[in-house]
Amino acid sequence: MRNFLTIILSLLGFFAISQNKQILYGFDDVPQSLMLNPGMKVTQKKHYGIPFLSQIHFNGGSSGVSVYDIFKDGNDNINDRITKKIFEMKNTDFFTATQQLEIINFGWRAKNEIYFSGGIYQEFDFITYFPRDLAILAWEGNRDYLNYEFDLGEISTTGDFMTVYHFGVNKQITDKLTVGARIKLYSSMFSYRSVDNTGTFVTTLGDENAENIYEHTVRNADVTVETSGYASLRELDGSAQVTSEILGRAFFGGNLGVGVDLGFTYDINEAFTFSASAQDVGAIFHSKDVESYRAHGDYTLNGINLVFPPLNQGESTFPYYNNLEDEIEREIPIDTLHKSYTQFRPVKFNAALSFGFGRFNSSGACDCLNMGGGTLHKQNVGLQFYSIFRPKGPQMAGTFFYHRRLTEYLSAKATYTVDSYSFSNVGLGVSADIGKFNVYIAADNLIKYSNLAKAKSVSLQLGFNIIIDEE
Amino acid sequence: MNKSLSLPIFAVCLCLFFTACIQDTNFDQAEDIALTPVVELDLIYFNLRADQFFDTINSSPILTVRDTTEIKFLDDSSLQESLKRAEFYFKFTNSIPRTFQVDFQFLSETNDTTYVTGTSVAEGTLAAPIITEFIENVEGDDILQITQANKVVVSVTIPSSDENLEGTLNLKSKTTYFLEY
Repeated sequence: MRNFLTIILSLLGFFAISQNKQILYGFDDVPQSLMLNPGMKVTQKKHYGIPFLSQIHFNGGSSGVSVYDIFKDGNDNINDRITKKIFEMKNTDFFTATQQLEIINFGWRAKNEIYFSGGIYQEFDFITYFPRDLAILAWEGNRDYLNYEFDLGEISTTGDFMTVYHFGVNKQITDKLTVGARIKLYSSMFSYRSVDNTGTFVTTLGDENAENIYEHTVRNADVTVETSGYASLRELDGSAQVTSEILGRAFFGGNLGVGVDLGFTYDINEAFTFSASAQDVGAIFHSKDVESYRAHGDYTLNGINLVFPPLNQGESTFPYYNNLEDEIEREIPIDTLHKSYTQFRPVKFNAALSFGFGRFNSSGACDCLNMGGGTLHKQNVGLQFYSIFRPKGPQMAGTFFYHRRLTEYLSAKATYTVDSYSFSNVGLGVSADIGKFNVYIAADNLIKYSNLAKAKSVSLQLGFNIIIDEE
Repeated sequence: MNKSLSLPIFAVCLCLFFTACIQDTNFDQAEDIALTPVVELDLIYFNLRADQFFDTINSSPILTVRDTTEIKFLDDSSLQESLKRAEFYFKFTNSIPRTFQVDFQFLSETNDTTYVTGTSVAEGTLAAPIITEFIENVEGDDILQITQANKVVVSVTIPSSDENLEGTLNLKSKTTYFLEY
């Protein structure tokens, strides 16, 4: 238990959060920005991602606690800090980790001016809300919480490991409007979720007529864990077999799903541009290798009632304990079900309003007085909005950004983001072209880089591409 | 700026990203993390009637009645490691005009006695039942003994009885487990 806690606490802050890629969104120097808005303006003629290196993305976070909160050097006791945090945090606080690895990514502009793009990436996505009541129960026990109803419904967690195959089209359909769509096929390798749970557990002091000192009551319990891709792994021997089985599912061997990304970019006038996109509008249909566990019912435990039956020599008394176990299993049965289920993907929504100024030309000199000209702006400032649908509702973030093309070969984007984690998240992305070779890196929470332990979330994307520009 | 500057600038930015560090933290403290829940749990209860101490068929008193139950959770290996102290609380309500001696004998799976305790219970009357409370605190080396047990034998001994004896001996009990993980 202690090791488990240590691992969970250590993970906080080392991965980044909620899939927000605020730096990459609209960062048109990087081909992967097309993955965030299939309807963005594409500036290149062709791009090829370097296989396995075109995008490496980590994102992790915890809304209520940082590594520093727990592990800071100090004279106070670590257990006191944990106790304090458990009581400070709310049941809507959450921990997330997301990781993506692009296996291949490519795109080209066809003769009909449609920019086609496609590829394969692998994704791991995990979120768990903080089950505050259960944490209190585990941490403190029930002695000081008589009559307090511990909420079993606070258990809310999902985890997915999948491969995504995608193909998208993008076209500028008028002078002002560019639209795009991307179809996605999901191959789920492993998935679990436990959401929409209910129930309470309470210990009350019995009155005069009560059978025993206390009554331990579970009321309206209905707790379900759905898994897919798990049951068959149990029978495997060793991690090597498990790994090879999971990887085998990467190529359409798992549970399949479909989804779509949609997006557009609209030039309101020569300076203002509005863009928006929705990603992963779709679902995975879990039908193979599904196994769900459901515990439901009501039960009051009073202890063991001895009846002192008159016994003859050699006769044994009632199997009180086994009877009690049977009774609990009867009242709160744990059913194992093999029922297919549909899991909607967490839909992500992005929007941005940007104001561009300074015409960008290949010489790199700022023609700052030319506010129009129809080509790329040298500088852009604007606002972005991001939201992702999670089990307990959407999580949102707002970003202020500044994007500057420094030279033909180098551009940068700085962001300031307000989200569930903090009000002080500053990020920076840089994209450099060395010949046809493009390299980019984007990271947020830079203010916390002097001490990452204080960061509640970290996000990092980096990758390498080959970009062939328009002639 | 020209192309030749791009790479150095990018390299500097890259370096900045990787200069991130973690300070003023001490992960050795993880060793000190201890969950110390205090769990209250009902144990056994009974209602012994006075007539259970007299054999009406043979017309003879039954001076000692016994019953046994398994308490399998007690010799669970994870509980053995984490239990620091156990406080047993027994509350007798006696309306039988006799004193009682009640003994609790904890046995291992192989029926070896691992721990014993007991108490005398004051006599009461039908009109005015008497409450006797008894607390048994188990800690230190005794924890090792009690966590070897997976059943408990409860013996209730009455000094004398007859067919006219009336009343009940009621027991309610709970245990407070002081755990540390």
